[in-house]
Amino acid sequence: MPPPLPVRRRTEIPSVGVSPMFRRLAAERATGVLMREGGMLHLLEGQVVYAESHATPGLDVLLVARGALDEEGWREAVAEAGAHRLVGRFLVDSGRIGQGALELCHLGALYDAAYFVLGPSSAPARFRYGDGHWLGPVRPVPVAAVERETLRRRELLHRIWPDPETDQAPLVRAARRAGPAVTSRQGAVLDRIDGVRTATDISRELGRTAFHTLVDVRRLAAAGVVAARPAAPAPRAENLVPTAQPAPFADPHVTLLKRLRDALEAL
Amino acid sequence: MPGIDECLLEAMRLPGARGASVVDWTSGLALGTVGDSPGGDHETTAAEAAELARLAAEHRAFAPEDDAGWSGEACPVEDLIIANRDSYHLLRFVPTTFDSSVFLHLWLARAEGNLALARIRLGEMAGRLVLG
Repeated sequence: MPPPLPVRRRTEIPSVGVSPMFRRLAAERATGVLMREGGMLHLLEGQVVYAESHATPGLDVLLVARGALDEEGWREAVAEAGAHRLVGRFLVDSGRIGQGALELCHLGALYDAAYFVLGPSSAPARFRYGDGHWLGPVRPVPVAAVERETLRRRELLHRIWPDPETDQAPLVRAARRAGPAVTSRQGAVLDRIDGVRTATDISRELGRTAFHTLVDVRRLAAAGVVAARPAAPAPRAENLVPTAQPAPFADPHVTLLKRLRDALEAL
Repeated sequence: MPGIDECLLEAMRLPGARGASVVDWTSGLALGTVGDSPGGDHETTAAEAAELARLAAEHRAFAPEDDAGWSGEACPVEDLIIANRDSYHLLRFVPTTFDSSVFLHLWLARAEGNLALARIRLGEMAGRLVLG
């Protein structure tokens, strides 16, 4: 009997908003921090001023990675202006970075973390009223815009490749070799795939937002160049009879059929 | 030192400017917008322009011949020009000192717009936007 086709998880795209509490806080112009499983969103008078997630590199990592700012400069700014909650203002006023550069990098980091904070979660959200974030308002974003963009990003990933498996798992190079269609930015991601690193790890190393890496990884997965590392097989005792069940993706024909089916479903 | 809004307002002072935006080409997100956009929807325009910008920015075919270091560190393309019967679209890539995929998008009325001038000015604005 042929082995059953492996079943893959489908991306769940909830049709409703991402967090009812989030909207209520915007309506009451709340200041404080919204804590969810994926991270935190900092609000100032009902607008998002900062977002952080364990899945994404922070603003400091993005700025320091390529030398837009040195680590010393960042530490000084936090020490000098952190207590006044005006670190962003201080960075610009002291000439460490341009206002435009800070706004661009900040928005990139904010939407990036918000995508993961507002991801599907079964754990309840909590809100702690407070005084706002130490970065200060660099370019506050309305709650509705953050929500809309998060939903749009989910759909964007789903359209590229409907299997979310590669978003969190350690990544491996798959059977197909990278063709000439691999872009320079994808190449940088591909170079760091070693069976251990996840998309988040690669983002940190590149100083690149995690969502950007997810997009490239899904494109590479759709091209059959990258896959999630299959779960490690259970350690086998010597006297154990080998199981008849093959590893889920071992058979190239099965892999091809699976990719074909996924592509058809994604149409 | 200009921020995103100051930069876009400056772009709108160019003759024939109908609308301007700053867009991230990987996600298709408009980080800032001013004026009008074709169809009246900046978000849709940003997503569509981002597709085009990505192809131009990330594929080897459009990099300079001698660009041996084609490694994704910096965008090898400076700008993209699209002309139709009634307007020009000018997409100017913004070089940054952190990893990003950002461009300025200027929509110009063809009758009043001066493409050569807009191209020079937009390049200067892209530089000032990040360097201050």
